[in-house]
Amino acid sequence: MSTRSKVTLEPAFILHHYPYRDSSLLLEVFARGYGRLGLVARGVRSARARWRGQLQNFRPLLLSWSLRGELGTLTGLEFPVATGMPAGRRLLSAYYLNELILRLLARHDPHPEVFDAYAEAIRDIDVTEEPALRIFEKRLLQALGYGLLLEHEADSGLPIENEAWYEYLLERGPVRRAQVCEQGIFLRGSSLTALHRERLADPACCREVKSLMRAALSLYLGSRPLKTREVLRQLVTMSDKGRDTGSRTDMN
Amino acid sequence: MSTSRLIGQLIESLRCLPGVGPKSAQRMAYHLLEHDREGGRRLAEALNQSMERIGHCRDCRTLSEDDRCTLCSSERRDRSLLCVVETPADVLALEQSIGYQGLYFVLMGHLSPLDGIGPEELGLDQLEPRLRGGEVRELILATNPTVEGEATAHYIGEIAHACGVRVTRIAHGVPMGGELEYIDGNTLSHAFAGRTEL
Repeated sequence: MSTRSKVTLEPAFILHHYPYRDSSLLLEVFARGYGRLGLVARGVRSARARWRGQLQNFRPLLLSWSLRGELGTLTGLEFPVATGMPAGRRLLSAYYLNELILRLLARHDPHPEVFDAYAEAIRDIDVTEEPALRIFEKRLLQALGYGLLLEHEADSGLPIENEAWYEYLLERGPVRRAQVCEQGIFLRGSSLTALHRERLADPACCREVKSLMRAALSLYLGSRPLKTREVLRQLVTMSDKGRDTGSRTDMN
Repeated sequence: MSTSRLIGQLIESLRCLPGVGPKSAQRMAYHLLEHDREGGRRLAEALNQSMERIGHCRDCRTLSEDDRCTLCSSERRDRSLLCVVETPADVLALEQSIGYQGLYFVLMGHLSPLDGIGPEELGLDQLEPRLRGGEVRELILATNPTVEGEATAHYIGEIAHACGVRVTRIAHGVPMGGELEYIDGNTLSHAFAGRTEL
């Protein structure tokens, strides 16, 4: 495992970073063609570093690195044309996406389709927050091989009817029902179709899809709770103290 | 390997300082032992006292050996202005360079959702009653212009708004003596968006 590989200007995002030694950063990177990987950015925290303050989350980057063994070394950094970055409250939702990737994707396992979905979600999160999150969750599950059955009923294979009600049974699929029978998620056929077509503008359908995605994700996230969810919960409680109107939580 | 167990221990202990590797630690240890025993004793005493006695200020959370730090207990500071910073070093930087006369609130970090660092860790539950108390008229957000700093500023801003306190954010953009050509796009766009009328 001592062969050295070099990668030049690969589209990537920084998912997380930790201080490393006195003046370096340890970056948890998500690169389009290489998946998640750890890179050391040497000396970037020192006062005169060229890239000081440039290595920020949620910003599309082009990274070059050399890799030998588990950790790589950052050797180059460029910026593609500037795109919008999430701001204010939306940042928390963007951190939630990062945590999903950190929890569900293994290192050195390339998933270009997840990368593209992530880039799109980060771009859209400022405009259409909830739909952007739900669409990313759906595509992430699909890429991991846990895709949801959204076009047909489980077992019978009948096409989903928009007017009908369904109970979504995890790892099986939707079953047409008048009420919940087996602790599944109860939702309208139109919501399943909307998720399938990735058109989630209707708030009511977005709410149904949210409970479906939350249940589906929890199956693969295991029992350890998501930290971003907990932090958001605390923040909402705190900023709601003085307000009567409850602020929405958009991540699951 | 040093010739004595105690010297070895001293060298190893000095290495807990940032930027001090084995070679520098060795140089420091031998310097104190050979040339400056008195300085060494003073250092040991100061370290000992500091580690034992320094805690956090009740009001602003900065490091202080008293229940309330000198800034918070000063009669001359303007109590209607409160500036939120990330670290005690930020307080020092602001104190040394601008004529700010208000008080501070030190978060001792920033929001970091992926590490589980939320409002409680930053003492926001302590800040909120203070904003509600009515003494503070303006809250100045001086967290770092990083993504984490922005997220932190946003949430504190929301809490302050809910408490009916005016919120301002320090400007960020082109540094003094900087040249536009060499400034990264993100900073430039911030500077451009935050332009002021002359």
